[in-house]
Amino acid sequence: MTVRTIEVRERVMARNDELAAQVRARLATHGITALNLMSSPGSGKTTLLERTLALLGEPLDMAVIAGDCQTQNDADRLAAHTARLVQAVVTGGACHLDALQVSAALDNLDLATIRLLIIENVGNLVCPAAWDLGEQARVVLFAVTEGEDKPLKYPKMFEKADWVVVTKTDLLPYVPFDSERAVRNCLQVNPGLQFMHLSAMTGDGLVAWFDFLRRSVRPLAPA
Amino acid sequence: MHELSLAIEIGRLAEEKLGPSVARCVTVGVEVGTESGVEPSALEFCLEAVLSHPPWVGAKAAITRPAGDIFQVTYFEIEDDDGPND
Repeated sequence: MTVRTIEVRERVMARNDELAAQVRARLATHGITALNLMSSPGSGKTTLLERTLALLGEPLDMAVIAGDCQTQNDADRLAAHTARLVQAVVTGGACHLDALQVSAALDNLDLATIRLLIIENVGNLVCPAAWDLGEQARVVLFAVTEGEDKPLKYPKMFEKADWVVVTKTDLLPYVPFDSERAVRNCLQVNPGLQFMHLSAMTGDGLVAWFDFLRRSVRPLAPA
Repeated sequence: MHELSLAIEIGRLAEEKLGPSVARCVTVGVEVGTESGVEPSALEFCLEAVLSHPPWVGAKAAITRPAGDIFQVTYFEIEDDDGPND
């Protein structure tokens, strides 16, 4: 037996990043805006998407890729609100989506009919942050039922995000959540973050979210 | 626990780089930067599971912790068969 060493020096994320670049290019070819929606479990991703699909599903030509460890419950919930395309990705236990899964999900969507793609990541404030999915922007949901120090505890997620959407604001009277402190903590981790505050239950603040989405998609080609 | 996905990716990289001719992989050198968001002990645990299959049965992970967010495989230490009777 001879022992020898093979030098490698290869980033472990290299393959995912390469696939993400391919996804990004593919989406760009079709003029599709893709948002990567991330948060802890239970902070309201699916509820917000239900409201969004109901109002903007058709006008913005939306499609959704919904990732979960098990079940396609979320995809079923979303599909009930829209005839638009909803693609479920069951990760089989994995705690995040990766670019390969998104790429495979795109194969099942008619890209020519889509202008806005929302990727609902697996509920988890840690792992999804490491995986580039080929999105244009990362949106982190932050429910008022969580602690204001979440951005300090899970900095990676907030460091890599573009937007923070504070959700469940209808519960503010009942929980000791200090919105200003929460925003300050976010900005401490990532000074470039932008914010929205809303309640998908009461509809409060949804206008800003809807406007953001309208601004994000390419205009319709003249008929 | 994204460390399992990372360990599987390292296994895939090993397969790609080493090919079928390698008799045994002894060590996998991995740099896990202090800002990489990867938990070294969890990664070691997962790598142990991934590396329990041929051709890297019993391979050990040699994890170093440089500063920064680097996360890369640096080397594979392998054992070659010298001859058919080895």
